[in-house]
Formats: sequence, structure tokens, C-alpha cells
Amino acid sequence: MYAIKKLLRTAAALAAAALLPFFLSFPAAAESGESTAAGQPANDVRTAVDFQHQLDSYQPKKDRYNFYFTYKTVHAWWDAVALGMEEAQRQYLDRGITVTYEYMAPDTASAEDQTRRLLEAEKGGYDVIGVDVADEAVISPLLDRMVDSGVKVMTFSSSDAAKGCRRIAYVGNTHNYEDGAALTEALCRKLNYKGKVAILVGSVGAPCHEDRAAGARDTIARYGDMEIVATEYDMDSISLAYDLTRKILSEHPDLDGIICCNMSNPVGAARAVMRSQSSAVIVGMDHDVEALRYLRDGIIYCLGVQDCFSIGFDTIQAAVKIADGNLPGDLFPEKTDEITTIIYQKDAAIMLELLYGEIS
Amino acid sequence: MMNKKGTGSRAFFWTAVIGSLLIMVIIAGYSVWTTRQTVRATDDAVSAVSSFYLEAMADRWSQSISSQINDDFDMMDQALTFIQEEDVQSQDELRSTIGKMKSLLSLRRFALVDENNVVYTQYTTYTGGSRHPFLSKKQLAGRVISIVAPYGSARQLFLAVPTPGFSLMGKSFKACFIQIDIHEIIDLLAVDKQERTYFGLYLKNGENISDTSLGSFIGVRNIFDAIRGHVPESIRTESQSRFAEGGRGSISYSVSGLAETLCYVPVQKTDLVIAVMIRESLIQEQIRHISEKTLSNSRNQMLFTFVSVLLLATVLLIQFRISSRNRLEKEKEDSMHFRKMANTDALTGIRNKHAYLENEEHINQRISSGELKELAVAVCDINGLKYVNDHLGHSAGDSLIKAASSLICETFSHGAVFRIGGDEFAVLLQGEGYRTLQETIDALNRRVEANLRENKVVVAVGYAVLEPQDRQLQDVFERADQMMYERKSELKKKESLIRSRDPKEEKA
Repeated sequence: MYAIKKLLRTAAALAAAALLPFFLSFPAAAESGESTAAGQPANDVRTAVDFQHQLDSYQPKKDRYNFYFTYKTVHAWWDAVALGMEEAQRQYLDRGITVTYEYMAPDTASAEDQTRRLLEAEKGGYDVIGVDVADEAVISPLLDRMVDSGVKVMTFSSSDAAKGCRRIAYVGNTHNYEDGAALTEALCRKLNYKGKVAILVGSVGAPCHEDRAAGARDTIARYGDMEIVATEYDMDSISLAYDLTRKILSEHPDLDGIICCNMSNPVGAARAVMRSQSSAVIVGMDHDVEALRYLRDGIIYCLGVQDCFSIGFDTIQAAVKIADGNLPGDLFPEKTDEITTIIYQKDAAIMLELLYGEIS
Repeated sequence: MMNKKGTGSRAFFWTAVIGSLLIMVIIAGYSVWTTRQTVRATDDAVSAVSSFYLEAMADRWSQSISSQINDDFDMMDQALTFIQEEDVQSQDELRSTIGKMKSLLSLRRFALVDENNVVYTQYTTYTGGSRHPFLSKKQLAGRVISIVAPYGSARQLFLAVPTPGFSLMGKSFKACFIQIDIHEIIDLLAVDKQERTYFGLYLKNGENISDTSLGSFIGVRNIFDAIRGHVPESIRTESQSRFAEGGRGSISYSVSGLAETLCYVPVQKTDLVIAVMIRESLIQEQIRHISEKTLSNSRNQMLFTFVSVLLLATVLLIQFRISSRNRLEKEKEDSMHFRKMANTDALTGIRNKHAYLENEEHINQRISSGELKELAVAVCDINGLKYVNDHLGHSAGDSLIKAASSLICETFSHGAVFRIGGDEFAVLLQGEGYRTLQETIDALNRRVEANLRENKVVVAVGYAVLEPQDRQLQDVFERADQMMYERKSELKKKESLIRSRDPKEEKA
């Protein structure tokens, strides 16, 4: 079963990789406003987030598991991941298997804080330790050491460890670069491939944020009339995103677009654009309810929505298998890819209803 | 006379018809009026009852929710006391204790929150500052009721209480909270299975948080977005303000001919409002159905009565017409009888002078118009009638008159005989009578001559025919009368002669 899923996902990833240049080269193909998932068209935006998960047929070897997960920062994005984890936990409980875990993060993203937490967790005797890597340069060596000392370590959600890290598996977004590129391509198309843009990034060193920013930069570089006038890090803070955007707008009142690489960026940017009465076009990541409202109201042009629920669900499922001593292969992949769907104004109401029960 | 009677009958007929139609129109009009009044009264009654029913229901449900929330808060306090009394030394023990509480209180989530916003539940421990907005403050001021819409799932109700001084495992805890699925609250409330009454739990901005449909029109939409354009804007905004301020009220609107009324009541000590909607149209339809059935029966009864009355009136009218016709015919017969009596001589049974005068008038018209060419008049007079009356009595005189009448009638079998005086008769002759005039006169005279000898009735006759110069019957009559007198004299002379030859006869 999992092999089939893996095969399909691999095929999808290959197709995405093959098709991305096509979309980048032929922007008219995406001008239809259709949502895209990891570079592929999605006919129904409702598939952006899959809430209907069932545990696979794997039979856990124990009846109790205890995990430790740590992620970059306390933020609604990871709360959505937590809901997927709780659903998997509930389903295991229905099978008579108790899964307990800690799901911890600092209020502000910090590689130091994450290091401290991991060192504490290492002594906790957890079956698996999961990490959403705050800074791959700092955390990856630590993870290698933990693995070497016999701790089962996995990475999850949006940021994997550095290439070559010996963590057992990763569940989450594997195409952050492509997401950044796809959002930027949408912006360029909207601006008719001409204008000044700014890039807002999340936490310094956070792989997912940095990868998206890299995707954005590379896309902009393809078009001679496009120019990046500013790049700022909001450290996953909406208020900081707002302040930075205000600053950029004051310095560049003729700014044409803003590329937002995390969940807090587009909210802060939209608030600032409204306040400044700027006409800058905003593209950004994730599904913050406020961001979705701005999308609905036309303040934000498009958003890349990650399937957080599936990330959480698959993380627990992979953790149970890892805890039983399994390694990536037929049971689970070394990287479990999760989709990202780019949604536009026409999709906002559906997403608000789907994710937050908001019916207008 | 006949025309007047005909006109009266027609008038009666039309009066009856128009009267019946008028009655029918009045009955029908009254029936319609009654129906409308009944429907209006029913609608008013339904509206009044609906509003009362809705408000009472909303109040009851609002109190039920408030009561449940208060009970939950009380249980949380008791649970905290229980946990505090437990000698919890590790996270596993804490999870186990929380699990017991969760199970005991039948809750979806029972959690403790430490001062770092780390949330402890039965199976997980997580940093919950962003997930539970009610934890954003360093300390909770008091009991908190919070509605949270977790990503991808229905809105949840969170009840939180501050836990000052509460500590376990060397950690201080700031709060305890429970999570209640709003659907579970809704399930506790009675639901109208007949789909006449709908309800939903709302935020103060009119947003539905219970996912219960407030009827097919509003559904699960924001109430004030849904009714936009279906109620006057002033009412909508006023209701929206009252709703937001935690007031109570009702809104009535009509969509596609369906009347609906919703009543909203705040749930005490929460930011929630319960709205109950009733589809009056359905109730009205049912009551109207019953009313219409009753009215239909009444209408049928009225129709039956009306038809009965109409039939009775028709029968009476027909009877009246038959009766009138019979009476008319009888009057006609009586009239003819009286006319006959007026024109008949009582003694002889032949026509009298009155009849002669009527004929004379008619004949004069025909003479004047030139239509009548052949006419003869014979005037007859009884000889010796005075003598008989004087000497033999009037009875004998009457017998003599009868005998004379018989003689004249027998002789003038083709003429119209009239007794126009005591002893005088006139005979009008036309056609065959006219053509056989002379033979008839001769025959009469022969019989008179014979009677004269046999001492029987003697009648003197004179006659004349219509001459071109005659203007009227009287002209002919006078010539005949003159001739009759001459003949009378002649007969008297003959009688005297016969009497003189037979003294016995004369003596007699």
C-alpha cells in the first residue's frame, strides 16, 4: 500500500520537476488562475488540504509510544500540523495503541533554543524525536550526533535538515524552492514581467523560508525588467512583517510586488499595504485566516497553501514505524512529500469555509 | 287587462331571478369575506403564537446552554481540587490524572496550562500560545468562554478558569480549560423533527458556529448577510446592532412566499446568541388547511341551502305560474259566460238587443269599409202579444214569445236572430241566408198564414237588403221595419176577416 503511495508521489514529484520549467517558460499556461499543487494544476481547490486520512495497514509492534517533537516557533501554521498529529493519535487509540507526545516550540524561532530542547529530549527516553529544523547549519550536526548515539530522529513539517544529515526520515514540504518560484512566477505574470519587488523571508536560516526565497530570487533573475529592491526577515512575526513592509514601502513607494515566504509575511505585508494605500501585489505562503480574508478581498493576489493536516498525520504515522525500528523503504519514504496548492481570490471563500468554517 | 297580467308575471319572474342572484352574490361575498377574515385572524394568531413560542424556546435553550456551561465550570473547579489532592510527581501521572478527569467529565479535552503556556492533556504536551488565543494574557482575569475555530474542524467552545496558586511537579499553572464540541451542546437541545423550527448558535456578528441550518434560506450563513434585501435595511441594521450588543429581538421576513420569523436571545455570560427560526408558513398552511376545510364545509352548507332555496323558489314560481294561468283561464271563461249572458235573451235563449247592437257596430264598420256587399235584415213582430199579456197573463205572453222565437229561428235557419224588443225580432242574413231570403220570407209568411187560420202565433215580417246608398245597418233596418209594419197591418186585417167569419174564434 505504502509502496504504491510512494510510487505515486515519486511520479508526481518527477512530473512536477518536469513540468515546472514548462510553467516557468510558458506562463500563459497558468494564467487561467487555476490553483497549482507543487507545480501541477489542481482542478479542485478543496484537495489542497486532505482532512480524510486513515492509518495504513502497518501493525505497530508496541501498544504505547512516546514522542518528542519540536518546531521552529509557536505559530498557527504548526497548530494546524498538530491537528493532523492528533487525528493520527486518535486513530491509533481506536486501535488500542496509545501515542503520547510533546510538541514544543519557543515563542521566537531560535536554533539555540531548539538545540537546548533537543539535548533535553535526548535524555527523555522518547521513542522518536522529531524536529522541524530551525537552522540546518546548527541543528543538522546535532541530529547526526543524536542518531549516532542511538536516538531515533526524524525531521518534519516544513524544514528538513541539511543534505547528508543522517536523520531517519523527513515528512513535510519537499518543494519549498519550487513553491517560492511558483508564487514569484504568478507575481511576475501579474506584473507583466516588469517592476520592483521586495522579498519577505521568515527566520534566518530556516531551510523552508530560505529555499522559497531562493526560488523567488532565481525566478526574478529570469526576467530582465524585474528587480528585487529589498529582502527582509520577519522572524515569523506578523508585527515585524508589518513594520518591515512599511519601511520598504516608504523607501520604495513605487514598489510593484511583495513575495512572502512564510505564514506571517503575507499578513503583515497586507496590513502595511492597506495602511500605505499601496498598489503592490502580494503573493505569499500559507493559510492564515487573516491572509485568506485578504485574499478574498483582493489585497493578496495568491497564496501557497501547504497541507499541514497531512503533514501532522503522516508525521505520527512515520514516527510509529521509526520507533519500531523500521527504516525508509516499503513502509515509508525517506522523504514524505506533501502538496502545496496555489490559490487565488476565487478560491478564498472555499478555503475559509474549509479551514475555518467561515461562511460568507 | 291581459297585457298587464303578462307584464306582472314577467316582473315577478325577473324579480325572483335577480333576487336569487343577489342572494347568491351576497352569500358568496360573505363567504369570501369570512374566509379572508378567518385567514387573516389565523395568520395573526400564528404570528403571535410563533413569536411567543420562539421567544420561550430561545429563552429555554439559552438557559440550557448557560446552565450547562456553569455546570462545566463547577466541574472544572471540582476537578482541580481533585488533581491538587493527588500526589502527582511525573508527567505520566499528570497525564493519567487528566485522563481520569476527562473521562469522568466526558470531555473532548481537559487541559492544564502552565505559566509558559505549555498545555498538558491526557496524551500530549504542547506549546499552545498561538493555538488558544484565550491564553494570550499572562493571567486569566476570571472564567473565560472562548470560541475557537481550529484549522479544518468545527468551532469549539473552550471554557477556561484561572488557577492561581495551583502547582504540580514544581511548576506553576495559570489555567485549566476544557474543550467542548459545539455540536455536543446542540445535540442536547431538542430539535423539531418536523422542520418547522430551526435554531443555531451564533457569534455576536451573526456568524453561525453550530453548523445547524436556520432553515433552507438562511442556512448556515451569517444571518445579517442572508437577510440583506429581504427586510428593510433599517430593520436589518437595527437588528444587527441589537444582536451585537447582546440584546434580544425578532426578525420577520418572507422568501419565495414563505414567511419566516427568527427570534434571538443572548446566552448569558457568553458572547453567544441563540437564534430560533420558525417557518410560519408551514404552520399557517396547516391551520389554513383546517380552516379551509371548515370553511369549505360551511360553503357547501351554504351552497346546499342556496340550491334548496333556489329549487323551492323555482317550484313555487312554477306553481304560481300554473295557478295564474288557471285563474286567467277561468276569468276568461267567466268573461265569456258573462258576455254570453249579456248577449242572450233570457226568455228565448236567442241573442238579445245588446248582441244586436254589438253586431250592428261591427257591420257598420264593414259597410263603411265597403267590405260588406250582401246583407239583408228581416224585422219580425209578434201580433197580439199585448192582447195575450193583458187577457191571458204574462206566462201566456211569454209562451207566445217563445213560440214566435222558435218559428223565426226555424224559418231563418241561415240567419242570426235577435230579440230586440218585447215582441220584435231582427234577423241578419248574409251568405246562404241572404241568397235564400225570398224563399225564407215566403215560407215564413205561409206558416204565418196557416197559423193565422189555426189561431197560432202570428208574426209579421218585413225585410230589406243592403243598398249601395246605405251608410249603416240602421238604414236597411228602417226599410225592413217599415215593411214589417205594413205586413202587420195586413195581417191584422186578415185576422179580423177570419174572426169575422168565425165568431167562435173571435169570441175565444
